[in-house]
Amino acid sequence: MVQNHHRGCHRQGNHETVGESKEKRPKFFINDHVDILIEILKRLDCRSLCVAASVCRLWCTIARNDSLWENLCFRHASPPPTSVRSVVLALGGYKRLYMGCVRPVRRRLGRARRASWAGDEVQLSLSLFCVDYYERLGGSNSNGRLVVGESSPSSSLMFLCKPVNV
Amino acid sequence: MVLYDDSATLAGSCSGSSSSFSSKPPPMQQQQDIDDLLAGAGYKVRSSELRKVAHRLERLETAMVNSPADFSQLASDTIHYNPSDLASWVDSLLSEFAEPPTCPSEFIMDPVTNQTVANDVWTTTNPNMPQVHHNISYEQQSLNNQLTVVTAMEEDSGIRLVHMLMTCAECVQRGDFSLATSFLKDMQGLLTRVNTVCGIGKVAGHFIDALSRRIFQGIGGGSINGGSAFENEILYHHFYEACPYLKFAHFTANQAILEAFDGHDCVHVVDFNLMHGLQWPALIQALALRPGGPPLLRLTGIGPPSPDGRDSLREIGLRLAELARSVNVRFAFRGVAASRLEDVKPWMLQVNPKESVAVNSIMQLHRLLGSDSNLNSPIETVLSWIRSLNPKIMTVVEQEANHNQPGFLDRFTEALHYYSTMFDSLEACTVEPDKTLAEIYIQREITNVVSCEGSARVERHEPLGKWRTRLSGAGFRPSHLGSNAYKQASMLLTLFSAEGYSVEENEGCLTLGWHSRPLIAASAWQAVSHAPAALDTHRPVVSGACDRNFSSTHPPTALASLLFLKRNDEEEICFESGEKGTPGLDWPYPNKEREMGKNAASQHVHVSISPHLSTPLALPYNIFIRDGHFILT
Repeated sequence: MVQNHHRGCHRQGNHETVGESKEKRPKFFINDHVDILIEILKRLDCRSLCVAASVCRLWCTIARNDSLWENLCFRHASPPPTSVRSVVLALGGYKRLYMGCVRPVRRRLGRARRASWAGDEVQLSLSLFCVDYYERLGGSNSNGRLVVGESSPSSSLMFLCKPVNV
Repeated sequence: MVLYDDSATLAGSCSGSSSSFSSKPPPMQQQQDIDDLLAGAGYKVRSSELRKVAHRLERLETAMVNSPADFSQLASDTIHYNPSDLASWVDSLLSEFAEPPTCPSEFIMDPVTNQTVANDVWTTTNPNMPQVHHNISYEQQSLNNQLTVVTAMEEDSGIRLVHMLMTCAECVQRGDFSLATSFLKDMQGLLTRVNTVCGIGKVAGHFIDALSRRIFQGIGGGSINGGSAFENEILYHHFYEACPYLKFAHFTANQAILEAFDGHDCVHVVDFNLMHGLQWPALIQALALRPGGPPLLRLTGIGPPSPDGRDSLREIGLRLAELARSVNVRFAFRGVAASRLEDVKPWMLQVNPKESVAVNSIMQLHRLLGSDSNLNSPIETVLSWIRSLNPKIMTVVEQEANHNQPGFLDRFTEALHYYSTMFDSLEACTVEPDKTLAEIYIQREITNVVSCEGSARVERHEPLGKWRTRLSGAGFRPSHLGSNAYKQASMLLTLFSAEGYSVEENEGCLTLGWHSRPLIAASAWQAVSHAPAALDTHRPVVSGACDRNFSSTHPPTALASLLFLKRNDEEEICFESGEKGTPGLDWPYPNKEREMGKNAASQHVHVSISPHLSTPLALPYNIFIRDGHFILT
């Protein structure tokens, strides 16, 4: 999917310059146009975004940007109120939220999905994410005896990582 | 169909092997018994044996599917079977998977189960088998594999085990301990034959342990209840991770609390069992994101005192405070250390009259149902002071089981069914060590239900109907959990990979169960509004003004004081109050004072001596102190 976008831009670049002299055809490097690149990457799905992150350093930096993952999280849901962002960033960021909670939740619920659940999926993911953050807090804070989550750092989300027994 | 599949895979095995296999020519009378349709397909099966053979083919299929890929040997050419003699062929294959019957004679004597039938099956086919066994050229599979094949023998052993458990429990109820002991020995012997890794064997093992504990160690409870609070917390945490019951409880209660706090800016949550505070991050986050902005949240967590001077409640409070700070929610935490819930007095919670209170009890109220010889049963005391707090909502989550019956056998039977279902649901969890530790957690409950009595037995579960009656009688009315809670619970359950969980709605309460057996029930209640003074009309109500004076230097037991009271109708009375135990007010416990002394608010009452003496008030009275006024009820 990434390849197609790339080719599409390339074609477009060629089209614009076809009116000019045919000998001198400036090449179009997507990396020179970071804003277009961001717009493209914003629309990718998770797997493509991860693949895109391994293309080159620039793409990796852009793909790590949290706002892309924010788009992913709320893609099928209504746009959230602005307070959500500060909360999510405080709890670890959108990428972590997506990879840890939203993606497995969506995958699991996909089997039994109902249309009305889209916004609630993210809310539920957010709650689970918060519990996970809290457990991770225990690992760094206490003097060690109290911590039970230390051995398995994000143990509260482990149940989401198991393969689904269909 | 299975028949044709097997023939296709093993077509190679019957080539050229008939020389070493001498099948007896079937006697004339049996020849006419051969099923015609199968004979046309090349199989010789007696019509009378059709049902048996079909059943065994099913078991063979199960065995092949469950075995760890060793059955590839079966497909090699060196195996000599005659698949046309379907009955014996299936039997010989099955014998490689299953354990051989160890002691058939014992089963013949048991009239309870149908083991005699099983024996007939083996004896009729045995004549066919020895010939086949001689020709097997590969080694017999190791029968020590941990195969999870449930053969007919094991199923019957499982049923037998259950019957023996019931009989043993009945002996215990009758007091016939010698017979019960002999049953215990038999059961332990039977356990070796049953798969104890999963299924009925595992649950039965726990119940056998609990019964032996009851018989040999008495009903005092032993060391189970003395398990340290730290251990309990760890087991609880792993139980939280392994199965959805606690998550369901937390999320449902949080949803109810969230909806009740809608529009309030000053909220106070009282948690009857803080543990690691796993319920509250989600509530803090939800409050942070609610439309009007977060309120000021106060959390009072009740928990057992830590033995080694470590203030675990405070540590949890600090963690929660840090989380709240990250998400910009104003948060205050207070810990109340009490080893039993009935020791907690409402003034310890320091409820501000302007704030909305929510009381959250996750599987704690049933511990109060043990009746002592006191006048007030603990549950009534606690419910009355909860009501006096006038909470906006009280969330109650309890196990949906009837483990508080006076008769031992009924209790035992009920517990066997309940915990078997719970263990079944736990099978789906594959996250270790959560699963093992969760099982230990449940095992402790089982031991308490079965082997303890009196005050040692704290796991006194009651079903939802009884709780409804009890709470309605104590002045609460049910508050229906909304569709949001139901939706959230359904979504939460879908996330768990096991397909057997089900959420049901039961007159405004939600129950979570396994395969339509409800195991845990969540409900929400509101206090029927009333003035605390009108609760008990028998006792005179005295209220008055007092000075509040915080004295940190005087330990409470040394406060010999007189209380100056003024009745509402202006008559002055006063009474004498000395140390604990003397007639007078019930002063707070000393160790609670240390807890409370950290904050500035005072619970002490300034004393002054009044020249007028009147009849001293009789005990017991509860004292509520609010804003410079106190109320005795």
